[in-house]
Amino acid sequence: MSEIRLDGAGYGVAEREILRPLTLSLRERRIGIVGRNGSGKSTLARLLAGLIAPTQGAVKVGGDDIYADRKAALARVGILFQNPDHQIIFPTCGEEVTFGLAQQGRRDAEAAARAALKSFGKAHWWDRPVGSLSGGQRHLLCLVAVLAMAPEWLILDEPFAGLDIPTTRALHGRLAKLEQRVVMISHDLAALEGFDRVIWIEGGAVAADGPAGEVLAAFRAAMEGVGDDHTDLAG
Amino acid sequence: MITLTSPVETVFHRVPAGVKLGLLCVATTGLFLLGSLAGQLAALGLVAALYALPGARFARAGLAALRPVALFAALIAVWHLATGTVAEGAVIVLRLVSAVALANLVTMTTRLSDMLAVLHGLTAPLRRLGLRTRPLELAISLVIRFIPVLSAKGAALAESYRARSPRRRPGWRIAAPLAGVALDDAERVAEALRARGGLSEGAKR
Ligand SMILES: Nc1ncnc2c1ncn2[C@@H]1O[C@H](COP(=O)(O)OP(=O)(O)OP(=O)(O)O)[C@@H](O)[C@H]1O
Ligand SMILES: [Mg+2]
Repeated sequence: MSEIRLDGAGYGVAEREILRPLTLSLRERRIGIVGRNGSGKSTLARLLAGLIAPTQGAVKVGGDDIYADRKAALARVGILFQNPDHQIIFPTCGEEVTFGLAQQGRRDAEAAARAALKSFGKAHWWDRPVGSLSGGQRHLLCLVAVLAMAPEWLILDEPFAGLDIPTTRALHGRLAKLEQRVVMISHDLAALEGFDRVIWIEGGAVAADGPAGEVLAAFRAAMEGVGDDHTDLAG
Repeated sequence: MITLTSPVETVFHRVPAGVKLGLLCVATTGLFLLGSLAGQLAALGLVAALYALPGARFARAGLAALRPVALFAALIAVWHLATGTVAEGAVIVLRLVSAVALANLVTMTTRLSDMLAVLHGLTAPLRRLGLRTRPLELAISLVIRFIPVLSAKGAALAESYRARSPRRRPGWRIAAPLAGVALDDAERVAEALRARGGLSEGAKR
């Protein structure tokens, strides 16, 4: 299994530093990422998936530069966007799921896409216009599309946001059984409880990094102590 | 208009996309060659029959999809009434309605990926010349997907405006924010495409 390596990888836009240079090596099966709103979690996720190039340092997965080499990246990492509307490209569910598989060069892309929808009990979604799905359903569609591509790493940016309780539970069960490595950003700390490692991001830097129990306890304690003056919501 | 989808599965869905597009070309050419009022009326009747075939629900959806044409038809009608060329105007209006209705019929009953497959076949000679045609196919999908998204965003902006304003219609006031939203969206789609391999590594279909 490949390893994600960040070597002094940082990201900034127009003089503003969003992620301080990070040096990390990710190889655990289940890695959680926590942090406050605007701390840089989604930016880190986009770096890990090769959607953006680090403005300094390097991000490599299994030795591949996933920003430059998209072909290699498709087999290495898949990402579930925080907002499903930013992820969906096609007008119908079937086409949306098929696209990624076709991009991977699979000849059975359509059959595989049908199977993927079916495995979630959503075979009837095939011809459904994506616009007719609810927010939570769209989230699920994105997840189906990413899982179908079966990358070595799955980066999930708040996968449970907007999902109802049965769907969340079903998804938990599914994720637990996945062979793949998972990096999951979540505000639902209970969801990260059994993880191998949790990284706490604060102000674009790592505030804590270690076993789930310790980091989550520290994060929880810190959050309880935060006042309600909203100063931290300022961008 | 471009997001037309059928509410029900029809017999037309089972006709191959290439055949439908071919027939559409022939029928539209025919409509333009047909100059008589009686002929145009008969053609429209035929089109209406096609819409009635799958049932009332489909026919209603088809009729609703024709609404944008009504405006143009009315404009043309007014012009011809004013210039006293009523018969000529009637032929043009009938022809317009039939042609658009037929095109809608094909769009409503054909999956986008099937249309793209036809396009893919037609552009095969270009590929043999070494040109990449996948960006073209993707661009078409993107336009079809994002026209409704943009109009939904516009509606959302208008709603958000209404929620905080005594005016009911925001009019031009949301034009600038909407342009901003469109640019943001373009950036995000670029990222979504990148997440799944971008334009460079097309699949061999
Ligand atoms: N394109 C951009 N231009 C300028 N600033 C940006 C851009 N993208 C993100 N930011 C800023 O970078 C910071 C980190 O954003 P990011 O989306 O990574 O946060 P997050 O931890 O995922 O937050 P949330 O929990 O709300 O999803 C924020 O302060 C945000 O305002
Ligand atoms: Mg985020």
